[in-house]
Amino acid sequence: MTEMNIHITVNGKSRQLKTTPLATLLSVLRDDIGLTGTKDGCCSGDCGACVVILDGRVMNACMVLAVQADGACITTVEGLAQNGELHPLQSAFAETWAFQCGFCTQGMLISCFALLQANDNPSREEILTAVSGNFCRCTGYQNVVKSVQLAAAQLRTLNATTQVQHD
Amino acid sequence: MTETDIVGRWTSAPGGHDIVTGKARYCPDIKLPGMLTGKLLYSPHARARIKHLDVSKAKAMPGVTAVITHADIPGENSYLYGYPDQPLLVVDEVRFQGDALAAVAAVDERTAQAALAAIEVDYEVLDGLFDPLEAMQPGAGQVVTGQDNVMMNMTYRTGDVEAALARADVIVENTYRTQWAEHAFLETEGAVARMDEDGVLTVWSSCQAPHRDRMQIARALALPESMVRVITPYIGGAFGGKDEAHVQIHAALLAHTAGRPVRLIRGRRESMLTHVKRHPFIVQCTTAASRDGRLLAVKARAIADAGPYSNASHEVLNKFGEFIGGPYTVQNLEVEKIAVRTNNPICGAFRGFGAPQAAFIYESQMDELARKLAMDPLEIRLLNGVETGSRMYTGVEIREGRGMKASLQKAAEMIDWENRDRRERQPAGNLRRGWGMATILKGAGLGRGLADHAGVLLEMHRDGSLVLHSAAADMGQGIITVMAQLAAERLGLEMDSVRVTRADTARAPDAGASCASRQAMVSGNAVLVAADEIRDTLLSLAAMKTRVDKDRLDLKHGRLLIDGEVQEMTVQNLAERASLWGYPLHAESRFHLEYPEVADKIPYRYSSEVFQFCTQVAQVLVDCETGQVTVERLVAVHDVGKMINPGGVYGQIEGGVAQGIGYALSEELVVDRGHTLNASLENYVIPMALDIPEIEMHVLEIPEPGGGPMGAKGVAEAPIIPTAPAIRNAILDAIGKPLHQLPMNPERVLAALDG
Repeated sequence: MTEMNIHITVNGKSRQLKTTPLATLLSVLRDDIGLTGTKDGCCSGDCGACVVILDGRVMNACMVLAVQADGACITTVEGLAQNGELHPLQSAFAETWAFQCGFCTQGMLISCFALLQANDNPSREEILTAVSGNFCRCTGYQNVVKSVQLAAAQLRTLNATTQVQHD
Repeated sequence: MTETDIVGRWTSAPGGHDIVTGKARYCPDIKLPGMLTGKLLYSPHARARIKHLDVSKAKAMPGVTAVITHADIPGENSYLYGYPDQPLLVVDEVRFQGDALAAVAAVDERTAQAALAAIEVDYEVLDGLFDPLEAMQPGAGQVVTGQDNVMMNMTYRTGDVEAALARADVIVENTYRTQWAEHAFLETEGAVARMDEDGVLTVWSSCQAPHRDRMQIARALALPESMVRVITPYIGGAFGGKDEAHVQIHAALLAHTAGRPVRLIRGRRESMLTHVKRHPFIVQCTTAASRDGRLLAVKARAIADAGPYSNASHEVLNKFGEFIGGPYTVQNLEVEKIAVRTNNPICGAFRGFGAPQAAFIYESQMDELARKLAMDPLEIRLLNGVETGSRMYTGVEIREGRGMKASLQKAAEMIDWENRDRRERQPAGNLRRGWGMATILKGAGLGRGLADHAGVLLEMHRDGSLVLHSAAADMGQGIITVMAQLAAERLGLEMDSVRVTRADTARAPDAGASCASRQAMVSGNAVLVAADEIRDTLLSLAAMKTRVDKDRLDLKHGRLLIDGEVQEMTVQNLAERASLWGYPLHAESRFHLEYPEVADKIPYRYSSEVFQFCTQVAQVLVDCETGQVTVERLVAVHDVGKMINPGGVYGQIEGGVAQGIGYALSEELVVDRGHTLNASLENYVIPMALDIPEIEMHVLEIPEPGGGPMGAKGVAEAPIIPTAPAIRNAILDAIGKPLHQLPMNPERVLAALDG
């Protein structure tokens, strides 16, 4: 099959890759780059286990061809922690039991991370809407709501402190 | 029991860090050097004779390392959950869409797919049996040659049902139908197998029963069990659907043949077509009561479509029969349990083992009785509910039964049941609001006469850190956290000093399957026994050193306590001394759940001894124009005996209720002549975040003395059981018309309105 070269930036790291016309972004992330945090739950865009941020948009990586992602900047769950320190959303998920089996968690985290970038104080409804494409069979969504609100409050405090320091 | 420090308190899940960073490895994430991709070939027909199967072209393809058929299986060609009637690879006939014909291993996914396409099969399509009622008839032909289509037909009788019916004032008689339901665990079934240098076959398996997997793999490969090792990596959900083996035996066969590691993961469609479903039931049920509302008799005849093979059908129908009388003191009961082979999807274990089907029926019957008697649904349940000391219709005496009425009363209070009629019942022209309740009991544990035990192995190191080896599979339900909490509590350790290894048959003793809400009880108690042995050694050493009696000593947060006063001496100091002087700090224990004999009665076969109680109340809004049902409120009150890990308990309840809402309103596999028409997450409709109301949960802790640690009795299965009947009774309350079939989708609600 024809080989094609693509260039993508994943979690801030630039990568030149050889791929094929039918390969999905999901398979490139998992099989070629080895970032297995992004999961394959259905490969049909129905479960949200493979959600990533692609140039600022939340996308199911199984529904994007690798060649479509050429030139894009991608954030996966592996890119949320900075310098070994968990993002407040990640700590909140672990503390409030926002998961049981954890297979949907990375997709939930990415959807919620994108939400928090746009909205620093989301309501229950807004959080549920943000994860409406993320299927959880074990736990439901109440503790996801709790985690996101907990993380949002922490981030607001953090930003306020940073603001004061800058002033 | 003294105040606990770790048990019953919120704690982060061990492994939580790996999950939120994406480091947790599930079967599809395992990558080994030289690893091949495994794939299975299935039939496009529900029933066909295989006239000719030729794998030679596939074998000759570059990049294809192994192709196997039934002829290449060195040992037994069958699964073995209970009865070995399902082949791993079919010999001459496919009997449902999930029967596999051949397995391939190739260098990559694409080559493996191409190899499957190159396998030549000449089918003779046969007429299948797709209606269990038809398949039961004499002369219907056999689904499995040599096996009766009626794979089970057992009747249990107690009391005198006919006499009770004759003297009853009110009788309710209905026929109920339930659907095929899908587990939809988010991680599909998968396994990775590798032949190690020392000849040991290591299999990473997404499963619920690692030791049973080991037995099945050894049996199929004709290897001694000592040469097979099963490990569970992280598992993405199971709910009963990974209780029986799926692809782990095939992965092992391929790795053994290819001499290279093989990873075999089912795709979503393949998963939905192949693994067991919740049995659809057709049940005729008659329930009788006296004028004052006392239950006199229950009579039920249940026919379940089992699909072609046994799997867990016996277990499911047995549990259905055990609970068909509900949590009530009815003494005259007759239940006929019939499982029938067909060429439809195979059915087996799914959260609750037949109890959800039973609860839909007995709780629907209760509300219809209440309506006939002009009684309040709460009142009729309180009047007939079991208590401590009640003798069940199964012959079992309930040791601790306060949870039944306590859960009813608490749930009624939370929804303000008595004032429901003061609320708006018709908020708009076509909208009707209603309230409904359901209360259930579910046995925790496998049941009387079955081997219900688990072992663990604990070892404390000289620095006071502890490793706990358990083979109890954690599919997300949180048994690892529960065991870590119990060990930490007893040994005075912090949670981060305890490491629980994920199930590995080479390290840990058999714990049996993670099913039937049992692991917190059996493995939990085993942890306490082993931890107490180590604790005793530590305290003996502390007593020698401090010259204080052992019974005045305690261990908490890594320190020694004398009469409750924190001392300088640490658990680590004591572990160092033990290590130096050669006192053993490892302990292995095995706990057996007890099923005492029942006086003057042979109880129901496989009856339970420990009971979970719960009540759920639903408030629904029915759109009479579209038939759409919206669950506006859902109250769930659960008696769990003792809550060890609150994060896990609330998660189990909320998740179970969410599954229950799906089971009630939308989830149904549509099967046409053996062909599943909606084998995708798009078309099998599961409620998502915006479809579920905020579940209002309350946990009761009434310790069960014969149960698990500190009176715990598990929580996993109960939450899914009362949801569908609670919603059903709320719809009845809203529109005044009873529904007798699941799911209660818009078409069926409209039909009920028209009826």
